Amino acid sequence: MKGQTLANTRDDIRIQLKGVGKAFQAESTVEALRDITLDVRDGEFLVLVGPSGCGKSTLLRLIAGLLEPTTGEISVGGKSPKQAQRDVEFGFVFQDPVLFPWLRVIDNVRMPSRILGQRSPLKGKDPDQYARQLLSDVGLTGFEDTFPEQLSGGMKQRVALARGLVYQPSILLMDEPFGALDEFTRDRLNVQLLDIWEKIGATVVFVTHSIQEAVFLADRIVVLGPRPGHIVTRATVPYGRPREFDIRFDGPFVEMVAELRHLLTDGGEG
Amino acid sequence: MSDHQATTTTTQLELDFGKRFRLAAHEWVPAILFFLGILLVWQVLDLILSIPVYILPSPAEIMGVIQTRALHLLQQLGWTMLEAVLGFLLGSGLAFTTAVVFVHLRSVERAAYPWAIVLNTIPIVAIAPLLTIWMGFGLTPKMTIAAIICFFPMLVNSTRGLRSVSPQALELMRVLSASKRDIFFRLRLPSSLPYVFSGLKVASTLSVIGAIVAEFTGADRGIGYLVMAASYRIDTRLMFAGIAYSSAAGILFFNLISGLEKLLLHWPGARLED
Repeated sequence: MKGQTLANTRDDIRIQLKGVGKAFQAESTVEALRDITLDVRDGEFLVLVGPSGCGKSTLLRLIAGLLEPTTGEISVGGKSPKQAQRDVEFGFVFQDPVLFPWLRVIDNVRMPSRILGQRSPLKGKDPDQYARQLLSDVGLTGFEDTFPEQLSGGMKQRVALARGLVYQPSILLMDEPFGALDEFTRDRLNVQLLDIWEKIGATVVFVTHSIQEAVFLADRIVVLGPRPGHIVTRATVPYGRPREFDIRFDGPFVEMVAELRHLLTDGGEG
Repeated sequence: MSDHQATTTTTQLELDFGKRFRLAAHEWVPAILFFLGILLVWQVLDLILSIPVYILPSPAEIMGVIQTRALHLLQQLGWTMLEAVLGFLLGSGLAFTTAVVFVHLRSVERAAYPWAIVLNTIPIVAIAPLLTIWMGFGLTPKMTIAAIICFFPMLVNSTRGLRSVSPQALELMRVLSASKRDIFFRLRLPSSLPYVFSGLKVASTLSVIGAIVAEFTGADRGIGYLVMAASYRIDTRLMFAGIAYSSAAGILFFNLISGLEKLLLHWPGARLED
């Protein structure tokens, strides 16, 4: 229902990138991204997919205001990324869970609320109670008092997801969050992530190098090619919400994966 | 990695005290037996070869002095440990503060770090007499030497610890617009603790050595003074007794810091060497 029913009017645009480029100064100048023009709609699940070195993570960091673009403009609901960052619009989930090993699971999830205090966008809810609810949403009830070191990789990443959502950011940025997990764990977390997303309705920009994962999760997919990172194509996924895991074996699903795969092998790495 | 891994780790932590004690005893038994063996060989050789006491006293003779002169030795040790602990606190505190400055101000680090290495290359035996000239025969020069000897290992470890924060953890803090204070107290400080303690453990034993070395160059009390005075009288039994007391104190100090480490770094996977 979500994403599909949204009209593509200007008011609906949550994040807008116009001709964005990024170059890094190392021994020589390395161009990471060139001329990225892209809209992310409000409440949309957008997936950036591409091979390593195509600047997906850089693009995510530009949106979050963690990096400055070399050329072009980025607007997050009319604000600069830095301003949106100060207004705590973003939740960020990294490839590594980045949990604090000295804090128990529940305290890791609560940590952002402790730092944000009054600045937290979470209104009308008790932050501690919401932290517990999110832990139960990711299926970790009973692990509140466990230390991260005692959890499996998949469980750690679920804690990281709960921590990313605990202050109810309006935009969730995910940088290959399940990239280091085995296929089965990844599949399970994909389903779980969609369940949670449908409940909270945040705008999601999700980075992955798995085409399967991209098609399963996304409303829209943006395919990036490498050297320098550029947009190869955009595709709208022909499935509504909620999605069943079994659509992965569906004809159109498999076709779309194959099509994108070809695009990436032809236009991407040689 | 699978989900049941979590439960096995928890049961390992819940080992009852008795079992833990037996495990610890099991670990220490070989070292203690080895030491007793050495003492036995020493004692026997001493008897067979009848080595004069002023060259090498037997363990039994040293034990005698350790017991009969216990009060005197403990008094001297008290002075040495006071110098060592004060120097340890001063040196470690200064080193940690310097590390905090280094981590926040790269330019200061670039300017000062090479000189910290130079300071570390100077043998403390060479500085000790200078400090005696400047500061006299009291507590201050000994404490200073102990502080100097603690400074470098603490500086290196603290800097490493404060830098051990992952770039992603720092990005996470930036996403939350966390203040410098929050980043320091909630992220950098706890991340640094395992390294800080590894530095403190090295510094604890070094500080005792530093204090004793300083006492050699001009003192009227302390274990270093006692050992030197005994050497003038060729009282090797007292020298050995002094050495035994000072290493016992060093080990005690080290274990005190180790205990504090176990208390503070309670989370699984916290300690660097285990």
